Amino acid sequence: MRQWTVMYKKELSEQWRSFKWLWVPLVFMLLGMTQPVTAYYLPDILEQFGGLPEGAVIDIPLPGGGQVLADTLGQFSQIGMLVLVLAFMGTIVSERTQGTWAMVLVKPVSYGNVITTKWAAMLTLVTASYVLGLMSAIYYTFLLIESVPILDIVLGALLFLLWVMFIMTLVILFSSLFKSSGAVAFLTIGMAIVLSIISGFLPDLIQWSPGMLTSHSSDLLRTGETEALVWLPTTVTIVLITGMIFLSVSIVKRKEVIS
Amino acid sequence: MYVLETKNMTKTFGGVPVVNRLNLNIREGVCTALLGPNGAGKTTTLSMLGGLLKPSDGKVIFKDQEETDHRQMIGYLPQYPAFYGWMSGIEYLVYVGQLCGLSKKEAIRKGEDLLSLVGLTDGAKKKIAGYSGGMKQRLGIAQALINDPKVVMLDEPVSALDPHGRREVLELMRELKTKTTILFSTHVLHDAEEICDDIYIMKEGEVVAEGTLGELQRNYQQPAIHIETEREIKQWSSTLLEKEWVRHMDVKGKAVTLTVSDLTLSREAILQDPKFHGLAPVRFEIVKTSLEDLFMQVTKS
Amino acid sequence: MDMINWGVVAPLIAIQLILMTVALLDLVKRDQVNGEKWVWAIVIVVFNTIGPIAYFIFGRKTD
Ligand SMILES: Nc1ncnc2c1ncn2[C@@H]1O[C@H](COP(=O)(O)OP(=O)(O)OP(=O)(O)O)[C@@H](O)[C@H]1O
Ligand SMILES: [Mg+2]
Repeated sequence: MRQWTVMYKKELSEQWRSFKWLWVPLVFMLLGMTQPVTAYYLPDILEQFGGLPEGAVIDIPLPGGGQVLADTLGQFSQIGMLVLVLAFMGTIVSERTQGTWAMVLVKPVSYGNVITTKWAAMLTLVTASYVLGLMSAIYYTFLLIESVPILDIVLGALLFLLWVMFIMTLVILFSSLFKSSGAVAFLTIGMAIVLSIISGFLPDLIQWSPGMLTSHSSDLLRTGETEALVWLPTTVTIVLITGMIFLSVSIVKRKEVIS
Repeated sequence: MYVLETKNMTKTFGGVPVVNRLNLNIREGVCTALLGPNGAGKTTTLSMLGGLLKPSDGKVIFKDQEETDHRQMIGYLPQYPAFYGWMSGIEYLVYVGQLCGLSKKEAIRKGEDLLSLVGLTDGAKKKIAGYSGGMKQRLGIAQALINDPKVVMLDEPVSALDPHGRREVLELMRELKTKTTILFSTHVLHDAEEICDDIYIMKEGEVVAEGTLGELQRNYQQPAIHIETEREIKQWSSTLLEKEWVRHMDVKGKAVTLTVSDLTLSREAILQDPKFHGLAPVRFEIVKTSLEDLFMQVTKS
Repeated sequence: MDMINWGVVAPLIAIQLILMTVALLDLVKRDQVNGEKWVWAIVIVVFNTIGPIAYFIFGRKTD
């Protein structure tokens, strides 16, 4: 356990000294603010730049607060996810290619610790950024549009966070398999897209898919309710995350440290 | 008596053996050198001993059988050590010290001791990203010693250093070998001769000569005769090849070096040969081959 | 656009400025980056938000 703490702290300091703790949360806050602010000013913007004929009456209804928050999560799951995957695609891969990996693994360290500390430190920063981004979105939505029941937000946000964690665990899994950070990012994003698409097309068939988490979360935010089946993808995702961690550890254990 | 042995240790990459049936016996408290030219398989060998590569065949045996994680008892310096550039030297040592199970306090004390041992006290608080190659090499040696290892494996510890740094690190290793077992690789015979007791000369993945420094010198310091003449020597020298006392012959223009088995016999035979006098000899010298010649012979072809 | 509430928009602009400033400071302090420093300087300043993010992800050499 002491070794785990030491390695976890090292990962956090590394993120800190490379400014990740500054820029990743800021990007999420920016994303969180953008949606409510654009929704609020959209009519004005259209009026100014839309090139509408003189005298045309603009009547775009303001979207509901829940809709704005759901759209914000939509931003998080696209731009936000891309940023996160790119920011963390090198956590394991670059250590391998640079040789620091071998320097550490000739020491009596446990492979489980190596993988889980990287995973935990990454998720710490991701969760913090996500919470800050969401809080900015909530603040602006309440200020400019309308308030939304807090319980719905919390539940929707948790479901979405689980989806984010699932994707970031994929980053770890692919990092244990491949030596190129490009491959890691490409496969993770590809996987996320595939899961979202099939869940969108075949929601009845793929009710257990982690990709369903985003639509459940969006339903909760917009309407305050979602199907009872929400426990299915939740459980499956938690099991998959745990399984992928174990798999990554055993892959790394079996692999040669260099070459 | 052996801290570390290998039995037919083999490593193949894509079917090609890079290390072939290697049998090493590393004696406790002794400094052993793996000597060989580029590509001989030294790094591959050390990587297998350090657990970074898995042997394709054969095995590595550590004396401490009850110790399940051999990484506890070894210190390892890769040929190209890589550090976290954002850490300072002391931060790095404290980090790896803690990985080896030291408390933070112990790690700090040990780290400071080691930095002064390798002469890096001044750079202790500097970011490693700003270190010179020599400073990194010293830090690499320091981190290999953080857990008081029973066996220290150093892959070309002095190759990246200037003559001054080389001198210092060799002195350091000389001091170190009074406390622990050292196994290091080099492609410079002189380094090995200077501090080693045991030497393995490797070439293309195989051991071509092994023994203590004394044994090797005795075995390979064979008597030799060096001859130079005014006339063409080739034809005459080729007749010598039939003589049973000639072991090896090296012809260069009008000069010949003969490695011989019996100095007295061969000297008389040559000096009494009228054909030899007919070549108008200008030089007849008794010399000795050295380990250097052996090593050159190995490295050349 | 006189109805724009600057109290609402100012934080957005502030964050963009912080990102840009930190990226530029890092760029100046760093010995080596992936690619040319002056190119990165332009990218960071011209493309707001995306520029600094791109620099943090692709410009910095990991050390
Ligand atoms: N991962 C690998 N895949 C394929 N071939 C390899 C690999 N690693 C090493 N080799 C080959 O194995 C041979 C021995 O390499 P090794 O690095 O062990 O030699 P060395 O004695 O350490 O040489 P040097 O003095 O240059 O460091 C070389 O011919 C090299 O090309
Ligand atoms: Mg080598």
